[in-house]
Amino acid sequence: MVAGVADQPIPGNGDPISEEEALRRLRLSDDPSAQYYAAWWLGRNRSSHPDAVPLLQEALRLRRPRDPGAGVEENAVARNAARALGKLGAPAQASIPDLLATLQDDDHGLREAAARALGELRASEAVEPLRQRLASGPAVAGAQQPGTPRLQEPCEALLEALGEIGEGRQEVVAVIEPFVQHERPLIRSAACRALLQLTGDARWGDQLVALLQHPQLQVRRAALMDLGAAGWRQALEPIAATLAENSLKLIALRGLVEQSSSAAPEPTAPSALTPDPATVAVLDAMDALL
Amino acid sequence: MTTLSVQDLVDAVRQADSALGLLQATQALAAAAHPDGAACLVEVLGFNNTGAAVAAVDGLIAIGEPAVDTILTNIDGYNYGARAWAVRALAGIGDVRGFEVLEDALGKDIGPSVRRAAARGLGQLRLEGLEPEPRRAMAERCLTALVDGCRDGEWVVRYAVAVGLELLAPAVHPDLAADVGPQRRLHEALQSLHCNPTEEAPVVSLRAALALQRLGVSHG
Repeated sequence: MVAGVADQPIPGNGDPISEEEALRRLRLSDDPSAQYYAAWWLGRNRSSHPDAVPLLQEALRLRRPRDPGAGVEENAVARNAARALGKLGAPAQASIPDLLATLQDDDHGLREAAARALGELRASEAVEPLRQRLASGPAVAGAQQPGTPRLQEPCEALLEALGEIGEGRQEVVAVIEPFVQHERPLIRSAACRALLQLTGDARWGDQLVALLQHPQLQVRRAALMDLGAAGWRQALEPIAATLAENSLKLIALRGLVEQSSSAAPEPTAPSALTPDPATVAVLDAMDALL
Repeated sequence: MTTLSVQDLVDAVRQADSALGLLQATQALAAAAHPDGAACLVEVLGFNNTGAAVAAVDGLIAIGEPAVDTILTNIDGYNYGARAWAVRALAGIGDVRGFEVLEDALGKDIGPSVRRAAARGLGQLRLEGLEPEPRRAMAERCLTALVDGCRDGEWVVRYAVAVGLELLAPAVHPDLAADVGPQRRLHEALQSLHCNPTEEAPVVSLRAALALQRLGVSHG
């Protein structure tokens, strides 16, 4: 949903630091809060330092018993390391085997972070393990864990990762489709997003557009982000008219410009950019929301 | 409707006891576009109700210049959401009395939504009523603030800066400015947004390209 778009606020240690300092802190294996912040920092600032990926791979292997007195909770450093690796692009491809191993961890939050990172890295190798995690369907993988608000699997992240990776084989689509009927609207939204990315079939876009009218703001926000991620141009007017913050509508419309297959601009050659009329219509809608 | 006074409309906003009720009462007050409703509309900006805030901003813009003093004296220094809406209202009204607030907001505010509204507003101040000399000076101050804004860390603010620069372009045309310098700076700023090799958001490059195209400046 919004992960990867809006970074989670980082409690404490929010001071501006240099890349060298972030790498130094990530090496402080007896100071989890320093490592927690350092891992977040390296992802947020898209570090390309050659030490960043190896150090984050090490941090991804850190497992700590829960210590209620500690400022940083169990496995939080590893979660932030996974999130950071997802943002580091090509150099982080080397960490895909580590992230695949993390996808099998007992910790729900770690599986979630690993799935999102694998999606961001467009890791083809992850398609089959992601598919298997969802294969038991909404009634098992998508069932609520007793005593917690969590589902058995981090379905939203798993679905979104499959959509991001973009390999729409029939057996992948077949596993995702039942989640369009999940009782939680956020899961339905994630499933529609993935199916729209994988198939381009308008019915999934139409379902996401319908969710823009949902009575809960949280659901409308998710549908905005999902339409943006899928670059679904037909949603331009419904997005602009949604009852939600302009900031989120702007992010969604940016997605319509950048993710749309008809007009994906090439960032390495900006001089070649000349917006076509459909793109100008999206830009005009963005201008009106500033 | 004609029997309701502005005070009745204000009372309805203050007595609203649901989000929907607040939205509807605010829309009614905004539609009246009466200066006596401005203070109440400014209050609504701080209620954390997006729909009502949108309606209140529309109402303040419809009231126009008579609302400016009320907005300026009530800008909330603590509520970022409310300040973003107030800056947006000032940007929409375009009164030059809002300049300092917009300049300060773009340069210093920690809320990206405030900075982006300010960037757009700095491009659309209504300078036509000013004498030639203060008009040139004001246009150049807007330009300087926007040029500095090109380095903002948030893509949406850089995007808004591109929009603001496009809107400001007529005010720095050589026919109005002392020389071609301001126009050249404006074009260079757009070109830097368009060709910035570290730009993470292609949409920013694209918007700057559109601005250059509309201004008849070759790019790339």
